[in-house]
Amino acid sequence: MKQARFIQHIRSALGHPALIRRPAGTVISGDSHKTSRRLATHARSRGTGQLNALLQSVISNAEGINLKVIVRKNTRQAAATLAELAAAKETEWGEAKQVVAWDHPLIHELDLEAQLSDLDIPVIFTVPGDDPHGTNSADPKVRQAVANAYIGITSADYCLADTATLVMKARPGRPRSVSLVPVIHVAVIKLDQIISDLGELYALLGTDPREAPEGLTNCMTFITGPSKTADIEATMVHGAHGPREVHLMVITGEHDK
Amino acid sequence: MTQTKSRFYVDEAARGIRNPVLQKSLANLQQRFGRATAQSYLELPEGPELRFKAHDMRMAAVENLDILLETLAENVRKNGGRVHFAENAESARDYCLGVARRHKVRMAVKGKSMVSEEISLNDFLADHDIEAVETDLGEFIVQLADEHPSHIIAPAAHKTKEQIGKLFADKLGIDYIDDPPALTQAARKALRQKFLAADMGITGCNLACAETGHIAIVSNEGNIRMASTLPRVHVAIMGMERVTARLADYDVLFRLLARGAAAQKMPGYVSYVGGPRQPGQADGPDEFHLIILDNGRSRILGDPVFREILGCIRCGACLNVCPVYAKIGGHAYGFAYSGPVGAVVTPLLTGIERAKDLCLGETLCGACQDACPVNLDIPRMLLALRAVLAEGNPYWAVAPSDPLQKTMFKTWALSLTNRKRYNMLLKTAATGQKALPRSGGMMTKLPPPFSGWTQSRDLRPLARESFNRCWKRQQRNS
Repeated sequence: MKQARFIQHIRSALGHPALIRRPAGTVISGDSHKTSRRLATHARSRGTGQLNALLQSVISNAEGINLKVIVRKNTRQAAATLAELAAAKETEWGEAKQVVAWDHPLIHELDLEAQLSDLDIPVIFTVPGDDPHGTNSADPKVRQAVANAYIGITSADYCLADTATLVMKARPGRPRSVSLVPVIHVAVIKLDQIISDLGELYALLGTDPREAPEGLTNCMTFITGPSKTADIEATMVHGAHGPREVHLMVITGEHDK
Repeated sequence: MTQTKSRFYVDEAARGIRNPVLQKSLANLQQRFGRATAQSYLELPEGPELRFKAHDMRMAAVENLDILLETLAENVRKNGGRVHFAENAESARDYCLGVARRHKVRMAVKGKSMVSEEISLNDFLADHDIEAVETDLGEFIVQLADEHPSHIIAPAAHKTKEQIGKLFADKLGIDYIDDPPALTQAARKALRQKFLAADMGITGCNLACAETGHIAIVSNEGNIRMASTLPRVHVAIMGMERVTARLADYDVLFRLLARGAAAQKMPGYVSYVGGPRQPGQADGPDEFHLIILDNGRSRILGDPVFREILGCIRCGACLNVCPVYAKIGGHAYGFAYSGPVGAVVTPLLTGIERAKDLCLGETLCGACQDACPVNLDIPRMLLALRAVLAEGNPYWAVAPSDPLQKTMFKTWALSLTNRKRYNMLLKTAATGQKALPRSGGMMTKLPPPFSGWTQSRDLRPLARESFNRCWKRQQRNS
């Protein structure tokens, strides 16, 4: 067997007996779980004041990477802003305007279809089909929708304040390509989805009762600003292959006065 | 057999030095990234000392490679992925071709992967009628021009925008343009069609995590996300050393990788891929294959002197500070890995004697170690390579260098340790040097076997009277 021989080579190279499997011991598990649990609890228990401080940090870190942060009090305001954005922006390849959006409770709350119907812009939601073959291959309708859309709307699992990074896990109804293929990506999150940094994220993934059983899923993605390149004479250009613009819309949940 | 042109190092280096475009762009790269990276280490919350901690983490991973790789493979399989252990380049290429054949792949999109350069995957697939399209903008340019990357993270650093404009006009059938945003847009348009049509995505792996069974792949352009999301099959290739034990290690290593590579706090995109599309998900590949490559790495692992180089995370930080790389450019190194890390790893992977000029060409100034996010002692390993070349080493199948040199150094040592012999040597040399050509008070040409010394520099002649004699004379006279 290829793997056995391969690993035996490594064991001999390291000076261990080739044929005896070494116990994993603490090599993998480590002993940092206590710290992780503390970090995770801390991340889950921030008050509004602390969350707003993190939001300020998101805003300042977003500047340098050309990520546009929009703060709105509720979903109604957020939806209105989204409609303005959809009206103002042009499609990339001259096609008709079309929006693709995640099948996600927060996105449904925006009631995008009503907002965009005045503009004659159709919204396609990536609702998992009941197609029995759906599990054997990717959904061609979703592929078509993301290829034709100029705006992709998603939520996210978390936003890391330290780097203004969006964290998304792969799940049914929330295709990865919605944040990737359309030229504009809008991510809508609630204030309490902001956490401090990578350390907190990894602590949550490892120890949080909601996160740990699911783990990282088959694909966890970090998005930090729009797609960019500096491969030609070190000149920074946005929109290499992924979105040229990324808007992060944060809903603070304050009530209107 | 791995393709390498390292034996042409001396000629290629000279060619690089004569190339004004290369000189300008390398100076620019080093100005921008070299300093910014150093600054970004200072701004780490834990301070620049975090690099030492990262070094320990990498070395611990290398020392436990057998355990980490078994755990990684087990976890990837648990998530529905497939793992192939390839002991050499041929095995990795054949496996990749086998997957492609099974899926009737005609075209594959590739994310930048140095390890795929190492195993010459593109040429191999092309020979089997499979088009492998490089999608990183720099790699795309280099592939269109039928060249190889000259820098780990800026593959087309050696080309001007005018050259790229002409290349695009020729190969993409568009009008000539030379504005970087317009050129980028042209490539975006051309490659978008490829992404949507490709049957297979091929990527490298920046770091794998054994604990969770994921590989992390990083880009700023989004091309690697495309290649790992849109095609039906995703094949990732990793050098076997690119694995870490726990997610917690990632926190440290990733922050350092981003700073080392491009002085960023966080790369634009990071994907943790741990398996194929799951039931109910609308996109992602139907199959995920991970190829873990040895190709000479276990040989390096077996020598404690050089084991440290397996800690390298291929960020390219050492290229951005190296005074030798800055002058000769990446092509001179003749292999996928250039710069200081290339000077160590290329001889070890492809044969120390075949690539011996690489370690001889470096200056040992130490800038690479200071820039390294995991603080690898590259100068120590360069010296160790030179020692292997001089003394010979059966493990590396290196014969001692020519006996004449060894005899000469022995004679030199004998004369240095005995005053009488040393005086005699000086006297002979002082007389002998009169016959040699001079210019401006300097000797311009030594006779063989010393002629190499004056090939590119002049030698100051010996003083008519040595200090020792002069001192003795004055003591006598006073």
